[in-house]
Amino acid sequence: MTNEVWHLDGELAGRYADGRVTSVLATSVEQHLLRCETCRRLMQPSVRTDRLDHIWDEIVERVEAPGTSLLERLLHWCGVDEATARLVAVTPSLRGAWLTGTTVVLLLAFLAAQTAPQAMSAFLLLAPVLPAAGVALSFGPASDPAHEIVASTPHSAVHLLAVRTAVVVSSSFVPAALASPFLPGSAWAAMAWLAPALAMTVGTLALSTRLAPHVAASGLTILWASVVVQGFVRHHDPFFAATPSVQLASVAALVVSAAVLLVQRRDLAEVLRRVS
Amino acid sequence: MTPNTTIRAEGIVKTYGRQRALDGFELDATTGVTGLLGPNGAGKTTLLRILATVLAADEGSLRILDRDPLEPDDRRHIRRRLGYLPQDAGFHRGFTAFEAVDYVAVLKEHTEARARHDEVRRVLDLVGLSDVAGKKVRALSGGMRQRLGLAQALLGRPELLILDEPTVGLDPEQRMRFRDLVSEAGHGRTVILSTHQTEDVAAVCSQVVVVHHGRALFTGGVAELVELAAGRVWVDSDRDPRALAGWRLGAHRYHHIGDPPAGAELVEPGVEDAYLLLVGPHVAPSDANEERDAA
Repeated sequence: MTNEVWHLDGELAGRYADGRVTSVLATSVEQHLLRCETCRRLMQPSVRTDRLDHIWDEIVERVEAPGTSLLERLLHWCGVDEATARLVAVTPSLRGAWLTGTTVVLLLAFLAAQTAPQAMSAFLLLAPVLPAAGVALSFGPASDPAHEIVASTPHSAVHLLAVRTAVVVSSSFVPAALASPFLPGSAWAAMAWLAPALAMTVGTLALSTRLAPHVAASGLTILWASVVVQGFVRHHDPFFAATPSVQLASVAALVVSAAVLLVQRRDLAEVLRRVS
Repeated sequence: MTPNTTIRAEGIVKTYGRQRALDGFELDATTGVTGLLGPNGAGKTTLLRILATVLAADEGSLRILDRDPLEPDDRRHIRRRLGYLPQDAGFHRGFTAFEAVDYVAVLKEHTEARARHDEVRRVLDLVGLSDVAGKKVRALSGGMRQRLGLAQALLGRPELLILDEPTVGLDPEQRMRFRDLVSEAGHGRTVILSTHQTEDVAAVCSQVVVVHHGRALFTGGVAELVELAAGRVWVDSDRDPRALAGWRLGAHRYHHIGDPPAGAELVEPGVEDAYLLLVGPHVAPSDANEERDAA
């Protein structure tokens, strides 16, 4: 065993400063530099300040840059770019409260349907309403406290609405779709919410070219509720919404709404501007 | 439109139902800080929303940065060169200060994450919020939130900065600091600032526009505005009932504006005196002189 003290030479100091040493050797050098003034002086001319600045920038970036939420990571995984995922993440309809509300309401409808088939009306009433409400909440002042600032940016309002709508609709459809196989009646009857849900969602967007989105969604909700309630009261049929006449009417409404939206798409940006 | 003119507005009209918010408004603005001074409801916010391309005018001609805001392509071009701080600038309260500005940066087409984050850090540093970048918006004071609003407006070094009542709700120290920031921002770019604080105008504006009932009553420099009140401001030991308006300065000392009586002790007028002479004594521009009342 010797007491000979190990020191850095010029070659090693240069390699360390350039980051060209193994992690084990780098650790040894760092430990030594902490207690050796001579080697610190030797190192000084070799230190590249630009590299240190770069490392510092990386540290700041890691500490300050916003963390990505689960939703953002999920969207990114699905191929959505980072910037778009960020915009989607602030849609209120996607926040926990909305998702929880959606799931709880559907769960209640599902449980009711298990115990009393008559309660299927409640499920068929609620499932199509939720995505339309989500879409109405996705734009305008209610959706974003920064809406006034957003309206003055060059980002396309139509693109923002389209992206948010796609995600809101998916988040509302998923729990409803998951509940469907467990519902009483035929598989077809259990999926009867789908066509009205699509019709109401696209209808809300189409009507929003003329009305405020929440007014459009409210109007369609009242219309749909009157259909379901009337079916239950007049015909005592909890599956009235699944009858061919209602389903065909929903598909027709969907087609008309999509056509209106297609024709009005150029004006939609102006409408969104007006809404804000 | 001269080469330096950033905004040229002629005969701008905007109505809400039966209310005429803007009634033939005229404005020319170039590099520097232009202050819109007027009482609440004068039409300042409506005008700024139109200039920020958030709202369209019903009538009149408007050129911003030599573009027509009614044309979609031109509008997008204007928005790329524009920073806007609305009166009630809201942010998601669950966001951190960094996230709030980052969100707006995405909308301002800063799509590359690393460059965007660098830009966010730059503007937060400009307004002195670097130390609270990681704090939630809900935990920031009113003054900090106003500075956060200014930070997002400064993203991308805009050529035109529109600030609606940026000093409202700030305490005197915050207000002073904010004025410094706005003055700095006014170097080399056009800043349009609305306020009902005459002190703001005196402190930072190179041009002032007095707005009343949706029209520009006066447009010119601060000194020219003050000059309007020359020889029409006096002090007395008693309140003078003939004055247009008067308020107590201290014990047995009253400040008056209007047509002075013979032998009155005339004093140097201020921005507020000129403003009151223009719009009338019942329209208070500032909440700083609570003791003022119509004589």
